[in-house]
Amino acid sequence: MGALFQLFINGLINGIIYSLLAIGFGIVYRTTRIFHIAYAGFYTLSAYLFFTFFKVLKLPFFISLILSLFSISVSGYLIERFVYLPFYEKKSSSGVIFIASLGIYIIIVNLIALIFGNEIKIILEGVQPSYSFYGIMLTRIQIIQALIGFILILIFSIMAKKSKIIKALWAMGDEPELLISLGLPFYNLRKLAFIISSFFVFTSSLLTVIDIGTNPHVGLPALLTSVVAVIIGGIDRLSGWILGSFTIALIQSLVIWKFSANWAPLATFLILILILLLRPQGIIGTKKRIEEI
Amino acid sequence: MNYLLHILIMIGIYSIVAYSLNLTTGFCGLISLSNAVFYGIGAYVYTLTAIHLNFSFIPSLIASLIITGIIAFLIAIPALRFRGDMFVIVTLSFQMIIFTILYNWVSLTRGPYGIPAIPRPLINISFKEVGLKLSINSLFEYLILILLINLVFLSLLFILYNSPFGLALKSMREDEKVSESLGKSVFRYFLYAFVITGIFTSAAGALYASYVTYIDPTSFTIEESIFHICILLIGGSGNIKGPFAGVIFMIILPEILRFMGIPDTIAPNVRQIIYGFLLVILMFLRPRGLAGEYEIK
Repeated sequence: MGALFQLFINGLINGIIYSLLAIGFGIVYRTTRIFHIAYAGFYTLSAYLFFTFFKVLKLPFFISLILSLFSISVSGYLIERFVYLPFYEKKSSSGVIFIASLGIYIIIVNLIALIFGNEIKIILEGVQPSYSFYGIMLTRIQIIQALIGFILILIFSIMAKKSKIIKALWAMGDEPELLISLGLPFYNLRKLAFIISSFFVFTSSLLTVIDIGTNPHVGLPALLTSVVAVIIGGIDRLSGWILGSFTIALIQSLVIWKFSANWAPLATFLILILILLLRPQGIIGTKKRIEEI
Repeated sequence: MNYLLHILIMIGIYSIVAYSLNLTTGFCGLISLSNAVFYGIGAYVYTLTAIHLNFSFIPSLIASLIITGIIAFLIAIPALRFRGDMFVIVTLSFQMIIFTILYNWVSLTRGPYGIPAIPRPLINISFKEVGLKLSINSLFEYLILILLINLVFLSLLFILYNSPFGLALKSMREDEKVSESLGKSVFRYFLYAFVITGIFTSAAGALYASYVTYIDPTSFTIEESIFHICILLIGGSGNIKGPFAGVIFMIILPEILRFMGIPDTIAPNVRQIIYGFLLVILMFLRPRGLAGEYEIK
């Protein structure tokens, strides 16, 4: 029973990390309807930017943090300005943008592999201290992950309820043309969506990387996790994304407990297919026709 | 000389892949990311029947075609309820699921250890008293075998492309509702196309397994699926020229890089970066690919 409870707590902490990922993917998908595959590249890029500042240039921790956060936000801006925006202005179909995004992903990952090599890079060396509460072992990094993640999710949820800008972003997903006629800064809102997305992918990537290190191919599994979370929870609501993330994380814990970690992807994707077939609007979501989803 | 033969063999294997995927992507307009599954299952069924049941080449090949056909059918039924992004997601999910099974079902597939020493093709045909026994060993014999199989499969596919079936698929690709109103079941037509793609791709997988004589699940990952779809996206789809251009380009480019003196350690990355740039530029300037007919929607 102790092992199960430990795995449950680990599942909750993973759920927080997955929620950050899901918010980053969801905010772009919900507002611009772009299937942002390059998000996987951004996940890898975040880790390697931090690695470059912190380990290669040997800058202090917080300065590296700020510099890499700044660089990843700029990258988010640049990809919208120089890749997605031209496609939008050309009125390209969603399939075309999907493939272009895949191209960007391939470029980013292979550039990183070319520069840094394929082996694993560790950021914090040595064994991290761990604490035990009532028989549950938590490492210091897990506590940091849970705290930072929880605070960020909380802040973003409050902003989504209160802030007019986030509400405008949501409206953009429904009726992009209407935004322009309402005099809202449509193009800036699109850029904002990408910057927010970059911020969340950065935090999620960094919180994982300080724990287990990184290699150039970590992005794709992370992207798939966020896609599954957003779809099974329900695309339209922030609470759906978070619920989806926790669902996946807890189911993965359950699979690890019953079978082994190797089988976790099978469970994740089976659930995705089942949800899509039985409840295509997601766990919490309003019912729509299948063509709209 | 062997080097040239090797490249020709790879072109032969991938042209089967490209022309069969063409039916799904170019004719139905569906971007499928589960193609490496068919390729992989074809390879595994061929290998397992050849090793454990001592099947010769043709029975093994037929076993892979049948089993992959059944699996393609099972994948198609849920997947074809979706279009666009969601179709991609569902096929990708099946790719991940089957890869996980291939990787973890160690008692059957030996998982990450892979299966070495796959027998070379042995063609054993006997009809009444007349028997034919051929074992294929040298690269040149391989090339002949692959050419023959290409001849059979590609002519079947080319007949399909121009048949009423192929033309109906094209009309559905352009407008499903109009075709439905003319009494054609889009679901059924797409289902046939998807299953045929699976069956033919598995033949390429079986050929690959018997050619390299060693398989492990890492040859059939999501990256392989992306590679398959890239052939059609870069070359183009919906006609006969497009996939051909794609295969030639994707197989020859690495060799050109090699002749340009790019070291082997970085060559795979440089190649991928070129593919990435090409995808972005082609999608912007020419979404139908180098020589294709179908423009991605």
